Amino acid sequence: MTSGRRPLSQRGRETLAGYLFVAPSVIGMFVFLVLPMIASLTISFFRVSGFGDYEFIGLDNYRTLLSDPVFASSLKTTGLFTLAFVPTLFTVSLCLALLVKKQRRGIGLLRSLFFAPNVVSLVVVGLVWQFLLTDHVGAVNRSLERMGLSGESWLGNPRYALFAVVVISVWFFMGYYMIIFLNGLQDIPSAYYEAARLDGAGRWRSFWNVTWPLLRPTSLFVLVMTTLTAIGAAGIFDLIYVMTKGGPDYSTQVVMFYIYQRAFQLNDFGYAAAMAAVVSFALMIIMFVMLRITKGGKVDA
Amino acid sequence: MPDTARPPRRQPSRLGPTAVWGSIAFLALLTVAPLLYMVSTAFKQAKDVYTPDLIPGSPTLDNFRYIFSEIPILRYLFNSFLVAAVVTVLSLFFHSMAGYALARLKFRGRDTIFSGIYATLLISLPLIMVPLFLVAKTLGILDSYLGMILPAVFNAFGIFFLRQFYLSFPDDVEEAARLDGCGYWRIYWQVILPMSRPLLTALAVFFFLGTWNSFLWPLTIVQNPDLIPVQVGISNFQGQFSAAWNYSMAASTVAALPTLILFFVFQKQFTETIKTSGGR
Amino acid sequence: MSFWNLWGPAKGAGAAKPSDWFVTMAREWNARNRTKVELTYFSGNTYTNGSTLPTAFLADKGPDIFALSPGDFLRYANGGVLEDLTPYLTREAIDDFVDGALDTRTVDGKIYGLPLSLQPHAFYYGIDAWERSGLSEGDIPRTWDQFLSVAERLTTKKRFGLTLETTPGYLQNFCWYPFMWAGGADAVAPDGTSSAFREPGAVEALRFWQETIQRGVAPRRSLGTGSTDITANLLVDYCGIQHCGPYGASTLRSAAPHFAFGVFKQPVPPGGTYTTDVGGWAFVVNRRGRNPEAAARFVVWALGSMEESCVKRMADWCTVANSDMPPRKSVARLAEQRGYFEDPIMKYFHEEVVPGGRGEPRYPPNVYQPISEAIQACQLSGADPRARADRAADLIEDALATYEGARIF
Repeated sequence: MTSGRRPLSQRGRETLAGYLFVAPSVIGMFVFLVLPMIASLTISFFRVSGFGDYEFIGLDNYRTLLSDPVFASSLKTTGLFTLAFVPTLFTVSLCLALLVKKQRRGIGLLRSLFFAPNVVSLVVVGLVWQFLLTDHVGAVNRSLERMGLSGESWLGNPRYALFAVVVISVWFFMGYYMIIFLNGLQDIPSAYYEAARLDGAGRWRSFWNVTWPLLRPTSLFVLVMTTLTAIGAAGIFDLIYVMTKGGPDYSTQVVMFYIYQRAFQLNDFGYAAAMAAVVSFALMIIMFVMLRITKGGKVDA
Repeated sequence: MPDTARPPRRQPSRLGPTAVWGSIAFLALLTVAPLLYMVSTAFKQAKDVYTPDLIPGSPTLDNFRYIFSEIPILRYLFNSFLVAAVVTVLSLFFHSMAGYALARLKFRGRDTIFSGIYATLLISLPLIMVPLFLVAKTLGILDSYLGMILPAVFNAFGIFFLRQFYLSFPDDVEEAARLDGCGYWRIYWQVILPMSRPLLTALAVFFFLGTWNSFLWPLTIVQNPDLIPVQVGISNFQGQFSAAWNYSMAASTVAALPTLILFFVFQKQFTETIKTSGGR
Repeated sequence: MSFWNLWGPAKGAGAAKPSDWFVTMAREWNARNRTKVELTYFSGNTYTNGSTLPTAFLADKGPDIFALSPGDFLRYANGGVLEDLTPYLTREAIDDFVDGALDTRTVDGKIYGLPLSLQPHAFYYGIDAWERSGLSEGDIPRTWDQFLSVAERLTTKKRFGLTLETTPGYLQNFCWYPFMWAGGADAVAPDGTSSAFREPGAVEALRFWQETIQRGVAPRRSLGTGSTDITANLLVDYCGIQHCGPYGASTLRSAAPHFAFGVFKQPVPPGGTYTTDVGGWAFVVNRRGRNPEAAARFVVWALGSMEESCVKRMADWCTVANSDMPPRKSVARLAEQRGYFEDPIMKYFHEEVVPGGRGEPRYPPNVYQPISEAIQACQLSGADPRARADRAADLIEDALATYEGARIF
């Protein structure tokens, strides 16, 4: 190696090192994330027997999907869930963050308590809430009765079951997003609040004039993340699997759960893949639109 | 979780500080009430499970004795621990390598690779379950520890954080090592890794908890009773011991306790990770 | 050879005896044969309604031998993964099975599964709650009207009078069918191409289930694994009456020896005829397993030979390990010799419940599904039974039109 060629070989070595360093992750992600994404499309053109037989059927799965009322209703349920979950979670965690923002004695402990549900698995969460919400004799219904209200079958009545799942999911996720909001709030320089105070703004006004606009990037991030969670996260699936299995009367059958059932309980692998492909595509569009409207917000890093 | 960001500002409050503190504390207690109730029921006798008392009238350890003797919960815990530990170590290793290269090495296609990695954040497990199952089948790792471990290792999350973190290092960090004639591997191993200890600890807690709590994937691929992780175990348990809530809650407590302990020990690092995930 | 089942080896209340029976059976076989059987236990909620079996077959890791319910039979039979057991069976042994016991496991004269026992459904009630509600033996309901009024009497602030299955799945359909059959309706008409779901019998059955919820006499959710989980519901006084097979008796007795209970058979609607649903698990062999021939010999040895030890084993299952109805005449004779039917509950099952029973139907998923949807909508959302029955009938006929595979019944 002569000194004249050094710069070139230095760059070559750096390039080689770079590739080697990223290789394990890139290969792993390709095999376990990207390849399945591509394979999903391929499988969706086949009828799969569940016993190892594949039959090419073109777009038949997609045609079935258009006329499948259960798919349509599961999309509707997912939509309803998302529309209830995202704004509620957003509001609750922002309120919590504002509540615990100020330094007080023991505030660290209080924040941790709000966060605690999030570290427990959703299987445990599902079991515990099922216990609390038992018809007639469960703790929730008993407390309601003691307050003079009448109990309900929260997980057994199609009118309330989805609502119950939303409340439980919000309870589970609120600590996480509280921390994210808290971080956003602490990024706002206190000088802005001082200025607002000098202008004679009360708390309410200073929230709308200072906090809200400056919190925008964080808010957008939370919106995008919670939407992704509502539609595609394994967490919501876990909760529904443990608590309701999609019932009562399909009222909690979100699309992910339906896909899982078709694939792993009824062995309609091809059909499930077609549904997954449609949902992925829809999700991409939703994300694209959200990012477009919000001009990327902070999410672009 | 001490707040290190800024000194507190004084704000005139109409409510007394004690009243405000009291209401926050009340809300916080309400939030953890279901978990407290879980623990409390785990110590109750079968006949008392529906009593509203938070402190069991006649506490008993029988429920724990029962689940430890009647179901292989220690085996479940061991499986979960093994999978979570291996996932954590492998993830930290691979993610920090990739993060380091993407942040501090210059090579062609780097930015494309990073965008690609970043885009995979959109892919969620339920969406790719069907084909992932086939991939795992082709690799012959269904119904095995490896099958639970490998798909959990590769995600953009850690790479993303570590890259951000390494970008914030001053330019001359590697300089001394480079002058000593160290190669990239030694720089990574001897300079970068030791410097990333705080973030690695935080991510480790995060990965460990995430894997410990995962359910859907192991549920789908594991049939061998000896490999069942604790979340799947207690979900099956629900079917086996049905409405014996005292047992169910004891098993839930056992499954949740490690995560709660880990959280309260590492809460600072844990929340740091989340804060960073808020995008910067 | 792996043998997946729901009984053993397992621990826990009520599981010990069935588990012992399985373990003993495997030990006996293994002592005499070179191809060993290895038992794997699964709990009910992942196995019956879950992903365990389908996923294993998807992964090409299906068990060599497994327990299969009639409701799930067609999928595996049509998938071509079941080994024909007929060549291993003697004529005498085939004839020894009671009438109808093999039907739901037979395709084109080939027998693909052997039943472990018969499990006809009847209703259990707790005598203590019954008497405290001012009811006597004379109040045992024979008609649906009486059934509802008894359930109403049994309902208190803490107790539901009756539970009926509410979780969608094979079990719910199974529990519901007898209500439909009693009024002369059926999911699939005898011609095999049309549906008899529009008949009033189906509509009335949907309406009856709806009424139990609307009148508040039945819960929207049962405890435990569902409405047939007898220790989780009846025993803890969550309900006054519930569905269960004969095995409920042994389950109750081993869980709570002092709990007094009674049994009555399916009440009928006005002008209806008595019938019930006879379930029961069968052992089947995976044709793509490691050694289907040895596996088939094992299953026939265990449940289908005329050997004295086989008959004794099956009688042990029905009378000692469990309380079930014998699927074979010789087994029934042995049980009778043992005085099994002197027990009033078993006598009642044997003489009153079983006659008139009908084997659990085997439907492909797209016939089962519309029925499930109709039950769910009427029972839990208060949908119009007439409209839902018509819709289900249309969907079933669509499904039948494109169905290819073994005969549905």
